[in-house]
Amino acid sequence: MSINIQQQLFFEPISGHAFNADLTQLVVSDSSQNTKILKKDASGKYKEHKTLMQHIERVTSVDWAPKSNRIVTCGGDRNAYVWTYDEKSDEWKPGLVLLRINRAATYVRWSPKEDRFAVGSGARLLSVCYFDPENNWWISKHIKKPIRSTILCVDWHPNNYLLAVGSCDFKCRVFASALKELQDQPETSDWMPKLSKFGTLLAEFDSNSGWVHGVQFSLSGGLLGWVAHDCSVNVVNAANQAKVYTILTNILPYMSLLWLSDSSFVVAGHSNYPDVYNVDPSGQVKYGAKLDVKKSASTDDNLSARARFQKLDYQGTDEAGTQLDTIHLNAVTELRAVSRAPDNTVTAFSSTGKDGKLVIWDIKALCKSIASLKI
Amino acid sequence: GVILKQWYQRRVAITAGTSVMAATLKPYLNAVRTTLEAAMCLENFYSQRVERHNKPEVEIRSSKEVLFTPLEICRNEKEKVLIEGSINSLRMSIAIKQADDIEKILCHKFMRFMMMRAENFFILRRKPIEGYDISFLITNLHTEQMYKHKLVDFVMEFMTEIDKEISEMKLCLNGRGRISAVEFLKNFN
Repeated sequence: MSINIQQQLFFEPISGHAFNADLTQLVVSDSSQNTKILKKDASGKYKEHKTLMQHIERVTSVDWAPKSNRIVTCGGDRNAYVWTYDEKSDEWKPGLVLLRINRAATYVRWSPKEDRFAVGSGARLLSVCYFDPENNWWISKHIKKPIRSTILCVDWHPNNYLLAVGSCDFKCRVFASALKELQDQPETSDWMPKLSKFGTLLAEFDSNSGWVHGVQFSLSGGLLGWVAHDCSVNVVNAANQAKVYTILTNILPYMSLLWLSDSSFVVAGHSNYPDVYNVDPSGQVKYGAKLDVKKSASTDDNLSARARFQKLDYQGTDEAGTQLDTIHLNAVTELRAVSRAPDNTVTAFSSTGKDGKLVIWDIKALCKSIASLKI
Repeated sequence: GVILKQWYQRRVAITAGTSVMAATLKPYLNAVRTTLEAAMCLENFYSQRVERHNKPEVEIRSSKEVLFTPLEICRNEKEKVLIEGSINSLRMSIAIKQADDIEKILCHKFMRFMMMRAENFFILRRKPIEGYDISFLITNLHTEQMYKHKLVDFVMEFMTEIDKEISEMKLCLNGRGRISAVEFLKNFN
C-alpha cells in the first residue's frame, strides 16, 4: 500500500467531504451551492456521480451517516438538508430541517448513533436537530448561552449526548445535550459529574485569542483536543480539567484535528501538511512527526541560462521565488477517518483542502517510512 | 561638492541594485514577509451582523473578535508598512520613501495610475489608507484562486521595486529637464 493516494477533485476549494460506509462513494462540497457525490470507479479514482442541488449559497459543511446512509449538508443560506437515498428512483431526496437560525450555518456533524446532528452557525448558537415523525421534518433545539461568536467546529462525544464546540470567541466548550424527546438515558462521567439538562455548560477552555478551528474528543472520550489560530495544539483530560496541555508551534495555524488512537492525533492546516502529535494517558502532548516527507531530493534551484532569460522576459525577475514542497498546494481544511481497525484506531485518513485535492494517507505505510512516527 | 557626491553615491547604489541603507533593509523585508504569511491564513466567513452577507471583515470592521491587532512595521519615519488582518481578509498599506517634491509628485502619479486600474490588479485597493501611499486588499477569494506563497512573493517584490522605479523616473526626469534647459538656453548665447 502506498503512503498516500492523491486525486485532484476540483480546482476549487473543498469546504467539506465525507465517505460512505464502504468507501465506494464520497460526498464533497466545493465552493459552490451544489454538493457532489462521487463514485469510485474501477481504477480507484472518484468520479462525479450525482449532484445535490438545493442550497442557494455556498455549502459550508457536509457529513455522511454511514450506518443509516443519510447525508446532511448545511450552507450560508441558513439552511440544512438531510438527504436520504431512494432506491427506486436512484436519487437522493432532500428532507426539510427547521434550523431556525438567522445567520449562515458553518459546520454540521451526525452524532455517533446517527439519530441527531449538530449544526454550528454564525448566529452564535448551536442547533441540535432530531427527527419529528409526525410532521416528517427535522426540528432543532438551540444551545445559546454563553457562546458569543460564530461557531467554527463541533464534535460529538462517543456517548451521543455530550458536545464539544469551538468558536470565534477564542473558547472551546463542552455542553450537555441529552434529549428527553429521544429517550436518552445519560450517565454521569468525568465530563458531566451530575445529570444536567440540555444546554448546560459543562466545561469552558480559553485559547489565548485564537479562533478554535478544530475540536475532537479522543476515541474513548476521556481526552479533548483542539487546535486554534494562535498556532496552538491543546489537550485536556476530563479527569483533570484544570490542566490544559498546550504546545505552541512556530508554523502556520492548524485547521483540523483527528484522533488516530487514544495516544496520538494528526493535525493539518495552513502549512499544507499533516503533523502527528503523541499524547500520554494524562494528556501531556508531544510533537510526533511530519507526515509529508518528500523522498527524492528537492529540485535544482539553479535555472539554466536560457530559462533565466525567459523568466526575466515573462515575469520580470530571474529569481525562482518561493517553492512549495508539500502535496497540498493550499491550506488543508478537513481531516476524516477513512478506515478503522477493529479496536477503532484509524488505519487510514483523508485530507482535503483549499487546493481541491483529496489525499488518503495510509498509517501503516507511513509508520514504515517515517522512523520517528509512533501511533 | 557634497551634494554632487551624495548624488553620485545614490546613482552607484541604484545601478548596483542595492540601497544605500542596506543594513536596515533585510530585517525590514523579513519582518514584513513573515507578518504577511501569517496574516494571509484566510478562510471563508459569512457575516455575523447581516444575514447572507459575505464581505471582507477588515473593511467592514463590525465584529471585534475576528479582527487582528493592526501591525505597523517601520523602517524609519518615512518608510513603513501597516498590516491589518482579519479572519477572511487582510489590508496592507505601504508608505513609500519620498525625499523631495519631485519624488512626491512622481509617487503620487504612479500610485494613482495603478489604483485607477485596481480591478485588473485584483488585490489592489482603489483608495489608500490615510497616511499611506498605496493599499492592498487580499481576501479569502484571492487566496483560494491564487497561490498564497506567490501572492506574498509578489507583494514583497512590489515593495522592493517601487523605490527603484521612482528613483529611475526621477533620474530620467532630471536628465530630460537638463537637456531641454540646455537647448532652450542656447538661444540666448
